[in-house]
Amino acid sequence: MRHWKVVAAGEGGQGVQSMAESLALAGYREGWKALYMPNFGIEQRGGVSLAYVQLSRAEIGSPKFLTANLVIVFSRRSLERCRQYIGSRTAILYDSSSLEMPAVADQVIGLQSYETSAPEAYPLRTGFKPAGEKVEIPLDKRLVAVPAAELARQRLHPRVFNMIILGATAALMDTVDLGGLKETLEERFSRYFKRDPQLREQNFKGLELGFKLAAREKNQRIPLQEALTD
Amino acid sequence: MEFRDEERVFITGNEVVARAAQAAGAGYLFGYPITPQNEIMHHWRHIASQAGRGFLQTEDELSAGFATLGAVLTGKIAFSATAGPGTILFQEPLSMAEAMRLPLVIIVQQRGGPSTATVIYSQQEVTLTCFGGNGEGLRIVYSTSSHQELYDYTIKAFRNAWKYRFPAIVLGDGYQAKMREELILYDPSSRAGSRIPNEPIIGGEQVVHMQNAFSVEEELGEKLLIDLEDYNRAIPVLVEHEFLGGAGGRLLVVAHGIVGRAARQAVKELQARGDRVNFFRPITLRPFPEEHLVKACQQSGNAVLVAESAEGQLGRLVRLALADQVLTSFRSYYRPGLGITSEEILEEARL
Repeated sequence: MRHWKVVAAGEGGQGVQSMAESLALAGYREGWKALYMPNFGIEQRGGVSLAYVQLSRAEIGSPKFLTANLVIVFSRRSLERCRQYIGSRTAILYDSSSLEMPAVADQVIGLQSYETSAPEAYPLRTGFKPAGEKVEIPLDKRLVAVPAAELARQRLHPRVFNMIILGATAALMDTVDLGGLKETLEERFSRYFKRDPQLREQNFKGLELGFKLAAREKNQRIPLQEALTD
Repeated sequence: MEFRDEERVFITGNEVVARAAQAAGAGYLFGYPITPQNEIMHHWRHIASQAGRGFLQTEDELSAGFATLGAVLTGKIAFSATAGPGTILFQEPLSMAEAMRLPLVIIVQQRGGPSTATVIYSQQEVTLTCFGGNGEGLRIVYSTSSHQELYDYTIKAFRNAWKYRFPAIVLGDGYQAKMREELILYDPSSRAGSRIPNEPIIGGEQVVHMQNAFSVEEELGEKLLIDLEDYNRAIPVLVEHEFLGGAGGRLLVVAHGIVGRAARQAVKELQARGDRVNFFRPITLRPFPEEHLVKACQQSGNAVLVAESAEGQLGRLVRLALADQVLTSFRSYYRPGLGITSEEILEEARL
């Protein structure tokens, strides 16, 4: 795939921006044209945080796009925020420990259990998909589940949750290898890593875990491979 | 933080602006925080403490603007940054800069309006930056479409403000402010014609009388004639644009800033399919590259499509420039306060 359009969404504090920024920086370091843009509305005071990442071999146009080829969902509520970016060929990576399969399976759109809906869900006249419209998601093809929150809690540290997602994303996209990801983290967080070498080790382990899980999924499922290529 | 000759970086637009101002030799930033430009002040504060430059957070935008003018009067290269409601307050110091021909440089990162609206993004400050004062809009307004341009034109804004003695504005937006992409930083002093001709305007041996109040109409009228002559003389040198395409086109897509970037991408894709669509992006919104637009329009079958994240603020400038042309069609894709993607423009522009 020559032009990746990725949306990542999660709760404020889950590390969405950090994950997305690292993904863009890693791509840039590997020679991709890269563009990262955070959504910086009022969610800084609570709510869903969104990030846009593009990696391309050619020049990148607008920082936002209509349809993503990969959507990364960190939490239940953030799925609702992402639906406008989900097209018929969009692959979806989600954290299965906070987002249960049944909810995804029959009600990807319009989950009734949400306590709030994102403000962007309301202005239907300015380009958002009508609330009633269901987006067809052929589950067998394009969904990749990684129980990131649970794995982070059980095996590593809750805070490296987003690094598991980052590793998984990189494995799916096949744009940056594990070595490149680690160098990127080293560059971004060297100050913190120096102060606490444990932090480096935990983050790297998270990356490896996510990478391994998603790589396995990808290799075993031909439909997923199809969704991830042009 | 010294500059190597060239440095490839992957940073946010707000940091780009601070690094550009440093590279241009700016000594002072007076500012008042407002999203989405806050990180310009943030990064400048670091530069100030490390590279011995001055920084002051004032009590409001009026104070920031007039403090900048004060520094400029003593010959210091100084600037400020603002957005949205802050740009409204800046009209007063901007007007004084126009009146007294002071090289005030401001970076504006547009947000949604009117009033507080959104902290995110828009292209709704075109009219305000070009014609916001109680005068004739004798300003230089650069609309950038990439981080590289944000760097280049911030440096250029300082140079041309001091050279022509008109206030200069770099018009970015919330997307450009917050996004990260690649660019090359360089030391402008190593490039020809880069020197900023700054010198003390007052405070020397000579007593200088500067006037921005006039007792009779004729006195003001005469002064404005001189300023207008100076401005009009500078227009051919100041105007800048980007054109993509050639003669025999069927449509001209016109957009500026970050939307220009989306439009360029869409037009490139159409051209690759063999569709004769041309692209025009004014880089200076004030003065506006009118003659170049007329030529581009004639090369495109006199059919125009304007796309912008505002309700016709660029559209009005385009219509004015093309007033003497017989257009075969004028279409608009106005999305006030909303981002515009390449896909949308492609959809609008294709046959």
